[in-house]
Amino acid sequence: MRTDPPADNIRPTRPFGGTLAFLWTEMLVQAHESLAMATSMVTQTVLILFVYILNPGLIGVALIGAVLFSAFTLGQRVLNEAAYIRIDHKANDLYLAGPMSPEGYFLGMAAGILVVYVAPIALLGGLAVVVGHLSLSTSLELLGLSGLVWLFAASIGYIFSTFFRDNRAIWAYASLFFNVFGVLPPVFYPLGFFPEPLRPVALLMPPSAAAALLQSRIGEATLSMGQTELALFGLITETALVFLLAIFWARRTVRGP
Amino acid sequence: MSAEPLWSENLRKTYATKGVPPVEALAGVSMNVHPGERVALLGRNGAGKTTFLRIASTLLRPTSGSIRVFGHDVSEHPERARPYIAVVPQEGKPFFHLPPREMIYTYLRARGLSRETSQSRTEEAIERMGLTDFADRLCITLSGGQRQRTMVATVIATQAPLLFLDEPTIGMDPFARREVWASLRDLTAKGSTILLTTHYLDEAEALSHRLYIVERGKVIVSGTSDDLKRSVGGTLKVSLPEGAAHRESFRSFGETVADGASLTIIVHPERLGELMALAIQRQLTATVGPVTLEEAFLRVVGRKIDED
Ligand SMILES: Nc1ncnc2c1ncn2[C@@H]1O[C@H](COP(=O)(O)OP(=O)(O)OP(=O)(O)O)[C@@H](O)[C@H]1O
Ligand SMILES: [Mg+2]
Repeated sequence: MRTDPPADNIRPTRPFGGTLAFLWTEMLVQAHESLAMATSMVTQTVLILFVYILNPGLIGVALIGAVLFSAFTLGQRVLNEAAYIRIDHKANDLYLAGPMSPEGYFLGMAAGILVVYVAPIALLGGLAVVVGHLSLSTSLELLGLSGLVWLFAASIGYIFSTFFRDNRAIWAYASLFFNVFGVLPPVFYPLGFFPEPLRPVALLMPPSAAAALLQSRIGEATLSMGQTELALFGLITETALVFLLAIFWARRTVRGP
Repeated sequence: MSAEPLWSENLRKTYATKGVPPVEALAGVSMNVHPGERVALLGRNGAGKTTFLRIASTLLRPTSGSIRVFGHDVSEHPERARPYIAVVPQEGKPFFHLPPREMIYTYLRARGLSRETSQSRTEEAIERMGLTDFADRLCITLSGGQRQRTMVATVIATQAPLLFLDEPTIGMDPFARREVWASLRDLTAKGSTILLTTHYLDEAEALSHRLYIVERGKVIVSGTSDDLKRSVGGTLKVSLPEGAAHRESFRSFGETVADGASLTIIVHPERLGELMALAIQRQLTATVGPVTLEEAFLRVVGRKIDED
């Protein structure tokens, strides 16, 4: 019997350690659900169609909204996946009782899901650029804002996932949250259609904040100076806070109470 | 580093769930596991084995007491203990949409091992644990035992300094179990230390240097499996198919159990000759065999249940 643990097997935990490896793992896992990739676009397509039938002139707004909504609902997939692999597979125990970093587990999972589902979203984005005649700078803005919305939703999704003890309850709550906040506010339709007193609320909710900023870019919404700042800095601050909270929470919830 | 791989003192855990009375799962557990040892944690369902393993592997907060992994306080600094450990969780499953080869490889990569090391360890584990024939089939298409083998192979491939295995061989056939035993022996020969739970007492006997029996959150016995057998009065068992009527004459040799017409006596080897002489004198046929760990376990734990 030796007294020293084999030193070459001790990997100190690095911040975000394991992110890329788990991203790859999650990609391989998700890639097997090809039907899910197709069905992930159903709601958006239906809503785009509705908007087009009601007012063909708003197709650009609807396509932009669909991109943002798609980024937002990826949070629901993170929630489902994180809860499922923790509860059914005991993946938290397997991966986190070891040198892998908890934030790498969270971010790798979220990014792996993003990579697999990004193709249909990119297609929608391409359509938005072409059909909506988006300039290069507006297209880049769409890309950046979608990224923020995704990060916000993925972080919220991961945090929520830790509160469930069994998988049966999740479906109802998860779809409630992501659909309500992704569909009700002015994401698929112009901010101007939203009741005036509630507009500040819409400007503080990430998907509709991003939508409002882009709508003002293409002339479908008029934002006052204060409103633009509110939407932009609100979105950036909320995303940063929720992302930091998710990192903190991922670390904290490795160990149960 | 000279610190023990695992050391705990007076470890307690009470589960407090709203609306139901609290459950005291660990009522002061002290134990240690020395470098290179394989130690089995035994006990009835609900005795507290998983609770102990989860606390030791940084997955659950203890209510009180101390616990250290390689000298690192698990309660205060779980992140310092984590680089040393790997866990087979009770009822853990590999990802269904990965084949065993990818499951093992990506897991090692997530733990920070290099490409080359991960690759060679993956192949080694596949070979070692008999996964070759299905290494590239999705886990969802594998049988229960094949999935469990994949799970164990994944964790064994880490060669972590301290491994916690919660019922690692559940659902495995006798060949697969022996492959696991051999792999675990290899690991400890290379310097790893292992704490496992099992309900297969032949496995505990074949595999562990020492064992702890927990009952209602307390260690009631610790030692080698021979120690445990000695504590029930002997390491040999004499069965007399027609002996029940002669029970009184055999009482002085050790514990006697009558079952219908037959009589079983637990005896120390040094008194075997004397006992056999008496059996021959009474014209009773006798068969002699070793006391199994399972029989000793049943007696020791049964006695404890009676006391309580
Ligand atoms: N999350 C929990 N909440 C409340 N009580 C719990 C919880 N987990 C375990 N217990 C209780 O704690 C006790 C010990 O459970 P534990 O899982 O440690 O047993 P075990 O020895 O591993 O049993 P088994 O052999 O069945 O796996 C049991 O009485 C169990 O019901
Ligand atoms: Mg258990």
